[in-house]
Amino acid sequence: MAKVEVRDVVKRYTAAQEDASRFDRDRPALDHINLTIEDGEIISIVGPSGCGKSTLLRIIAGLESVTSGQVLYNDYDVTDVEPQLRGVGMVFQDYALYPTMKGKGNLQYYFEVHQRTEEEMEARTREVARIMGVGFDLLMGQKTDTLSGGEQQRVAIGRCIVRDPLVFLMDEPISNLDAKLRESTRIEIKRMLRRFKVTTVYVTHDQQEAIFMGDRIVVMRFGKIEQVGTYDDLYYTPANLFVATFIGSPPMSVLPVTRNGAALVLGDGSRFELSDELAAVLPDGPMRLGMRAEGWLVDEGVAYPVRHIERIPTEQAAFIHTMVDGVHVTALVPLDYPQVDEVRLAPNWEQMYFFSATDESPLYTPGIPELF
Amino acid sequence: MALFPKVGRKQPGVRFAWYTVVAILLLGIFLHLLPFYFMITTSFKTTQETFAIPPTLWPQEPSFKAWELIFNVTTASSSSERIRTLLPQPMYIYFRNSMIQVLGAMAISLPVTAFAAYANSKLQQGRTARWFFLFFIGTLMLPFAVTLIPSFLLTRNFPFPTPNPPLIPGTENPFPTIRIWNTPWAIIIPAGFNAFNFLLFKGFFDTIPNSIIQAARVDGGSEFNIFRRIVVPMSIPVFAVAAWFQFGALWDSFLWPLVVLQSTDVIPMSVAINNLIQAFQQAGVTNADQAMGASQAFQQALDAGLSWPGLMVLGILQTIPVFVMFIICREYLLKGVRLRGLK
Repeated sequence: MAKVEVRDVVKRYTAAQEDASRFDRDRPALDHINLTIEDGEIISIVGPSGCGKSTLLRIIAGLESVTSGQVLYNDYDVTDVEPQLRGVGMVFQDYALYPTMKGKGNLQYYFEVHQRTEEEMEARTREVARIMGVGFDLLMGQKTDTLSGGEQQRVAIGRCIVRDPLVFLMDEPISNLDAKLRESTRIEIKRMLRRFKVTTVYVTHDQQEAIFMGDRIVVMRFGKIEQVGTYDDLYYTPANLFVATFIGSPPMSVLPVTRNGAALVLGDGSRFELSDELAAVLPDGPMRLGMRAEGWLVDEGVAYPVRHIERIPTEQAAFIHTMVDGVHVTALVPLDYPQVDEVRLAPNWEQMYFFSATDESPLYTPGIPELF
Repeated sequence: MALFPKVGRKQPGVRFAWYTVVAILLLGIFLHLLPFYFMITTSFKTTQETFAIPPTLWPQEPSFKAWELIFNVTTASSSSERIRTLLPQPMYIYFRNSMIQVLGAMAISLPVTAFAAYANSKLQQGRTARWFFLFFIGTLMLPFAVTLIPSFLLTRNFPFPTPNPPLIPGTENPFPTIRIWNTPWAIIIPAGFNAFNFLLFKGFFDTIPNSIIQAARVDGGSEFNIFRRIVVPMSIPVFAVAAWFQFGALWDSFLWPLVVLQSTDVIPMSVAINNLIQAFQQAGVTNADQAMGASQAFQQALDAGLSWPGLMVLGILQTIPVFVMFIICREYLLKGVRLRGLK
């Protein structure tokens, strides 16, 4: 159990460490990262490839050194402490099981190198087998390369919890599993994390997973943290255009618009009257309008040709795909919406996002709705 | 692993290609086994028969004289003092020398080379790793003939590669040196790092995912413990291949031991056998007295069976350890060869 604090961490790969394959030499891999993870909190880190999310995780683990800045566990500076002494548990994307050892050996390596007693080792292994549930005992006696992906992953998690870690670090632990197994495994992991109440950092590139796992979500880009918050924070009050387009599925459509008096003019000439509330806050001139699928009022306003209607029975909804002003737009409709060639759409002013035309800063976001 | 896919083997073209490949492989096996066949059959021939033209494929009058003689010599119960001039030490001494030198060199070289390769593969990064790699591999680019003389001088006045050790500045005294020349160390120390095996190890260590090493670090293993408990067990096939290559190379090495070892109590098998061949060829060509003595010894040795058949017996004895080593490493070797796509 520990509070983890990352203070102003910069990570810059020097030319001597640089792999030839790495791109973007001028940009630091991590650029002044500040993050506090409370005791027992689960933090998900999401971001596009190469944004530094894994690097940040490895810095918390101590597997990478920092160029400047500090890492603190419970206010104790561990920046120069070796990973061997930090007492963290880590699950890797490829599981990283020791291939020459059986499942049990994988779990017991920790006790072996820490010169713990045989009894403690056995007791902890049994305890973990009990927590991990049905069939875990069977995995213990098998060579790890004979196990399937899901089984290997269970052993990897078992290896991670057997030591009672201060911090759990997970680097895309389930992205190598097939879709069905991924679904059940993430529930399994979540259940376990709840039970242990261990501080956890969970890196993933899948926002669904991040939402499911994390108490709070960190969105990263180009080595910088763009926003930290709950899913609702990120969804309804994005800090910038990147977070707005990165979070949410189907992704937000962004249309260049111009405010002209009381009306909003799209590039194709269609005009929409602004609501009074928006008219009060928005500046005049060009800006960018962000709309999510549920942000459209269907069957009113301007008619657009339908490209495709995607019906999703599990969600009891359908998405209409169309083009507005040359931009791909998705609108949410009920599952039983009729098959049509043309659909009339108008913006629902309560669910619109406005961003500056020149940079990514938000001009207006709808804010978190009060559901209850 | 099949050279030809199972599907379509009945097509005439594929079948023809299949038999052609089999024929070429059989020819290869035949060519490789022929010298061994000749070595073994010759060891059972009489001396006269070895010179027969055309050579006989099978001993006409099988004789065990050569084997008996070598057995006597190796058990140091040789009847004749004269044979001693041809073979100054009993055979097992040479065999023991070879063993000490080869196993000693391997005991140092395998760990040293594996450590170097592991460090280069997993602990160094980026440009540093590349330059170190080039430095180590660069040693492969110098032909042995180029380094022979400097290496020889090094063994005379270790660690100075000069005929005489340099003087300590301001005095008349030379620097203290160690003479490893004419000791087993002259074989063992230069073999302490093997660039080819370095390449082999490095190639394998590169395939071990970094995450396994990192997982072990998070588990608390020290770098050495990770190497010993995680990496080495994974690398046994590579160790087997490296050990086998080095054993073969060192056991059969001839030129270097010939240069740095002189006294008969340290020379290995390969040099001893060569000395014997030299003695055969030179018998009776120096001054008259020596010629008399030598040729008498030669005659006596011939009578006792120590001639070409005897040499063949020695050749067989020289080859046996390499076979034994192969059988020991066989399972891992095949795995390792598949692993690395060697030979």
